[in-house]
Amino acid sequence: MIRNSFIALLLFVTTISAAQNPAPADNSTKRILLLGGVAHIGNGKVIEQSAIGIAQGKITFIMDARGFKPDRNSFDTIIDIYGKQVYPALIAMNTQLGINEIEAVRATHDYDEVGNINPSSRAIIAYNTDSKVIPTVRSNGVLIAQITPVGGIISGQSSVVELDAWNYEDAVYKMDEGIWMNFPSTQIIKASWAEPEEEQVKKSAMHLLELTTLFEQARAYSMNNNQIVRNQNFEAMRGLFNQSKTLYVRCNFAKDILAAIKFSDLYKLHMVLCGGADAWMVADQLKEHHIPVIIERTQNLPRRDDEDVNLPYKLPSILTKLGVDVSITDEGFWKNRNLPFQAGQAVTYGMTKEEALQTITLNPARILGIDKTVGTLEDGKDATLIISEGDILDMKSSVVTVAYIRGKEINLDDIQKQLYQKYLKKYKLN
Amino acid sequence: MKKILTFLFTIGWSVSQVLAQSTQPVQSLSDQRIITYAFTHAEIWQDEKTVLTDATLIIQKNKIVAVGNTLTIPADAIVYDLKGKRIIPSFIDIYSNYGQLEVKRNEKQRGPQYQTKTKGAYSWNQAIKPEYNAAFNFEIDDKKAIDYRNSGFGAVLTFQNDGIARGSAGFVLLGKKDEGAMLLKDKAAAMYSFNKGSSTQEYPSSLMGTIALLRQTYLDASWYRNVKDRDNNLSLSAWNDLQSLPQIFEVNNYRSLLRADKVGDEFGVQYILKGSGDEYQRLKEIKATNASLIIPVNFPDGYDVSNPFDAVNISLADLKTWEYAPYNLYWLDSANINYCITSSGCKDFKTFLKNVQRLNTIGLSTAKILKALTVTPAKLLKVDNQVGALHKDMQANFLICNGDVFTKDGSIIENWIAGERYIINADDTIDLRGVYELKTPEGKMFQMEIVGNKLQPDITVKIDTVKVKVDFTKDVLQYTFRLEPIKGKGYMRLSGQFNSEKREFAGQLQTNNGEWNTWSAKQIAVYMDKKDSASIKASNIAPSFADITYPLCGFGRKYIPVEHPILIKNITVWTNEKEGILKNTDVLIFKGKITKVGSIDENILHLPGLETIDGTNLHLTAGIIDEHSHIAAEGDVNEGTESISAEVRIGDVINSDDINIYRQLAGGVTTSHILHGSANAIGGQTALIKLRWGKNAEQMKFEGADGFIKFALGENVKQSNWGDMNRIRYPQTRMGVEQVYIDGFTRAREYQTAWNNYNKSGGKLQMPRKDLQLDALSEILNKKRFITCHSYQQGEINMLMHVADTFHFKVNTFTHILEGYKVADKMKAHGVGASTFSDWWAYKFEVMEAIPYNGKVLHDMGIVTAYNSDDAEMARRLNQEAAKAVKYGNVSEEEALKFVTLNPAILLHIDNRVGSIKEGKDADVVIWDNNPLSIYAKVQKTFVDGICYYDANEEMIMLQNLNVEKTRLMNKSLDEKNKGASMNRPSYKMEEFNHCNNKEQFPH
Repeated sequence: MIRNSFIALLLFVTTISAAQNPAPADNSTKRILLLGGVAHIGNGKVIEQSAIGIAQGKITFIMDARGFKPDRNSFDTIIDIYGKQVYPALIAMNTQLGINEIEAVRATHDYDEVGNINPSSRAIIAYNTDSKVIPTVRSNGVLIAQITPVGGIISGQSSVVELDAWNYEDAVYKMDEGIWMNFPSTQIIKASWAEPEEEQVKKSAMHLLELTTLFEQARAYSMNNNQIVRNQNFEAMRGLFNQSKTLYVRCNFAKDILAAIKFSDLYKLHMVLCGGADAWMVADQLKEHHIPVIIERTQNLPRRDDEDVNLPYKLPSILTKLGVDVSITDEGFWKNRNLPFQAGQAVTYGMTKEEALQTITLNPARILGIDKTVGTLEDGKDATLIISEGDILDMKSSVVTVAYIRGKEINLDDIQKQLYQKYLKKYKLN
Repeated sequence: MKKILTFLFTIGWSVSQVLAQSTQPVQSLSDQRIITYAFTHAEIWQDEKTVLTDATLIIQKNKIVAVGNTLTIPADAIVYDLKGKRIIPSFIDIYSNYGQLEVKRNEKQRGPQYQTKTKGAYSWNQAIKPEYNAAFNFEIDDKKAIDYRNSGFGAVLTFQNDGIARGSAGFVLLGKKDEGAMLLKDKAAAMYSFNKGSSTQEYPSSLMGTIALLRQTYLDASWYRNVKDRDNNLSLSAWNDLQSLPQIFEVNNYRSLLRADKVGDEFGVQYILKGSGDEYQRLKEIKATNASLIIPVNFPDGYDVSNPFDAVNISLADLKTWEYAPYNLYWLDSANINYCITSSGCKDFKTFLKNVQRLNTIGLSTAKILKALTVTPAKLLKVDNQVGALHKDMQANFLICNGDVFTKDGSIIENWIAGERYIINADDTIDLRGVYELKTPEGKMFQMEIVGNKLQPDITVKIDTVKVKVDFTKDVLQYTFRLEPIKGKGYMRLSGQFNSEKREFAGQLQTNNGEWNTWSAKQIAVYMDKKDSASIKASNIAPSFADITYPLCGFGRKYIPVEHPILIKNITVWTNEKEGILKNTDVLIFKGKITKVGSIDENILHLPGLETIDGTNLHLTAGIIDEHSHIAAEGDVNEGTESISAEVRIGDVINSDDINIYRQLAGGVTTSHILHGSANAIGGQTALIKLRWGKNAEQMKFEGADGFIKFALGENVKQSNWGDMNRIRYPQTRMGVEQVYIDGFTRAREYQTAWNNYNKSGGKLQMPRKDLQLDALSEILNKKRFITCHSYQQGEINMLMHVADTFHFKVNTFTHILEGYKVADKMKAHGVGASTFSDWWAYKFEVMEAIPYNGKVLHDMGIVTAYNSDDAEMARRLNQEAAKAVKYGNVSEEEALKFVTLNPAILLHIDNRVGSIKEGKDADVVIWDNNPLSIYAKVQKTFVDGICYYDANEEMIMLQNLNVEKTRLMNKSLDEKNKGASMNRPSYKMEEFNHCNNKEQFPH
């Protein structure tokens, strides 16, 4: 029995040559029993002392460990994790992980295609599995991510990946599952850089017209499966009209959210709202139309001088209480290492810990349409899970020691740990 | 006898004046007309205090000959009987660009421009142009003059509103005659602002840079005056010439008003300050400047909050500013502040008069308004012997009015300027308003109603039950009415005269069929102003000065909090001292200090007003200190134009009203180190503030703290991410950065030597030029000012330590210092501290080897290590950032908390005052409801100097009150909209945050 895989891992780290991403786990999967951990299922339930069986990359069972007598021969490995916390893998939606490497260096930017209307462009193509950033995010418990383009009015298509792969083809978990749109805002903005008010009014009307024209044409196009003259953008949009693809709409102002709901109704789309800072003002409408909300960071400033200074922290709890389906993401790419804390912040302001966990596990899995295989610790689902020394939502105890993706143990090393070890050695601190 | 003498004297005087007036040669015939005018039986306001009834004013040519009750009127005078009329001095606008050339705003140019474009022996800076003389470029602009005259103005101070030192202004009359006659005074005042206007030169790009430039120019001008061996500089020479004039400084808010006054104080100048109308927000401080103010009456419009989703974007401060603006002058007056009123800033002159009348209804008396438009500006400009009042020998500048022009029913009939007559309105003594019976010859009777404004009344005629609107015009002697009795059937036109004794119209009419007839209309009822009295009830509830909050926003308070004794019982105290974490402990706060930590019996304290707080299950820590912050700074934190801008000071631009102060108190922050940005190798002097929310900028400054200065290294300094246009400024590589430092410090050393030699020479040597930039660098060399340096890569960190060693000083702090872990041994040897991020990276090439274990390594190497925010959002949860030192590297919780409390205090040299819970230290403390390093911890109360500036429960009450007050103001605004007032479109105000490098999206 390996008593502590963390120690094993550290030994491994110290022997590796510096500045390399670790190799992806090999495909041979073992039969593993995780014994005694506090299992946070991801659907609100907790098993204080759990027994979790893994085989063929799946969770074969999960039950109360008290009174459970394992048949030791049924497992290759039995790991004692009493006192530790087990969670389903965290899911980072709405991220540019792997398509942005350095914010200030243009050569590393592959998330924002030129032009306003880009439904056909696919983030998965640009996804660089060898990004130095990915392992740093993964080692904090994020094992699944939705690689998402930004920019323009229609930014392109996102795909879901597992964060352990040789290239994008084996990384992909769900290909081209949604199209991202920045909804043209009708809100007049006052800022030193803003265009004159009239110009803003004109522009937003123009963009809305451009958008409705596009959708009208794309829908008509989608009625014929054998178009003689193909249109790449319309082809990409087909899935929106039979709801096999999700339309992710980024907007924050209440007025715009209402307009976006109307818009998605008009074309009978499967819409998910992203951003939604003002969603609390229109929660009823979101609930009525079953539109989930992806909150981009709880650790934000209030948007207006007069707002409760803690409003962004309270938003997930407010929306949940009003019956809206809430997920939480971080922003950008490297910041996703702090995804658990974006959820933890919501606990401080009104959510339960298990509710908050759900906003970064089960709820995203549902939005992404992958909840049959991931998102919770349940029989038959992928054994894609993490073990933490303590409460993962609180930074002072959030230390992930073991991670599995479909039953394969992931190497949690990263460039930052390597550099740390290198300099501990230099100063003889270890 | 006396009368005759006066008369004779008058004649003699006028002849001599005539001969002296012009150098213009006579062309064709001279056609001189020396006419004397006498205005008799008028109510004459010689000034706001001296009112003569049934008096006479005699003028000849452009001057007043006599004013009095018993004057003899010369036989050759043209006499106007002004019985029932009022004569007052014409107004003076002390802030005008009348007759000036339009300032050409330069097109945006390609790339930065570091040198001035002004050719000649002038200032090195394009925005300093004291040599500009507005009188030289003055041209009569009668179109504009008409507007001024119609509003009662007779003279203006005119200048070119462009630049920081804008040159001199001319004082001109608003008549039509030639410029020579209208120009009353050349160089009447010197003009300044904080706005560089059309200058295309990079420097200064910030408010603090502008202040530094002004201060340096004062020093340069004084040096220029006093030394012999120097180059000629026409700007400095002009600057010196202008110093004896009234100095007028324009600002755009009350905070800058105080800033300008402070600059003036430093150089012995009392500016006359052109304010913006928000002065009531800090009346006490404004009063303390002793400055005379020039105040516009451009009251903002209300907000169209019809759509509730738009309405949420309007803040309480926006609404309050709208409600309070008209009361500003009234409150300034109540505080005995000397002020003039200007029409500048009003969108048109109608608005000006309307708003001045508004002042009168609010309670500013006619005399006070008149004074602010006449005597006060005249005195400030030292032309009160010529204009602003009606006395012998003064300019014949006066208004003939009906009634009080500062009320709705008063009107200006004529405006006389330099003895020239300008007719403004037809003489409208007659108030036509009332109900009339209109009679036509067929014996038909209609009811006609004349209501509304006295000068432009609304008229309706009731035909059967329908009220038909009547179109109405008036000529000098007769009135014309036009109406369409039945729609589409043609017009009936009436013309007639009014007999004011009988209150009756009579005249001819032509019907819609073209038939001629006579008509008459006799008044049967007097006019009642119903609408007015109703509107007073609805919206004229005057705001009270006592309701103003500090600062003016949703989370301001009507009072500025004061300290009282506080006993916190039974709390877990994170002392940051050798005592460690004390459970179930009591803490006494008295006179702003932590007086006792331990077990305290409140019954034996005998402290009157003692507040006891139950700390059961709560935690107490020292307030969080943010070593690297950019909040509460106004007008940009980067003077990132020159490679060295050591002369600029963040302390000059503290914005005490920044909402982020309150928000950060809510995150437990009590002290913030406000830094210059990182756009240049040597940035500016920093400011250390305590978050005393509600106090003014000066009161926020951490008293007695050592001065610091921001340095920066790496990509920002060499403009790596600024685009291809920015490849001009030295340095563009890390090689050049070192050279900039060596050059700067070498110059500072030579500068010190020069001063030492001069001081020793007993006046034999010429005084060196005082240089604010080199002063700051000298302070570093003399260990009087300390460096906090933005830094990432190990090489440059090393470099700066070597430069410091060479010049025999120490770098105090490396901030960001993301590769500090690579050179921790060298840093330790140098004795420098570290203020870093917990886990930031990947935002620039130079941070690709940043690691979240950095803090841990530095700490373990014995370096004083802090975590900072550099971000208004992150600063609200620095306790959580500290907790990341526990996560990454297992630093103990007790030590981790010090990363954001005691350690930054040590780095800032204030650990004798703050940073731990120790008897005698300032009571800057925070009460948390959980372990402060847990993400689940919320701030309950934050104290600075023993004063509770944030209280979570109080915030909830504030939010409720805010909502009530906002609702009231929104209703009020909608009332105004219903009355047809023009409205602002509500827009979403994007907050513009300061980071190290504002040119780019990437913070730090």
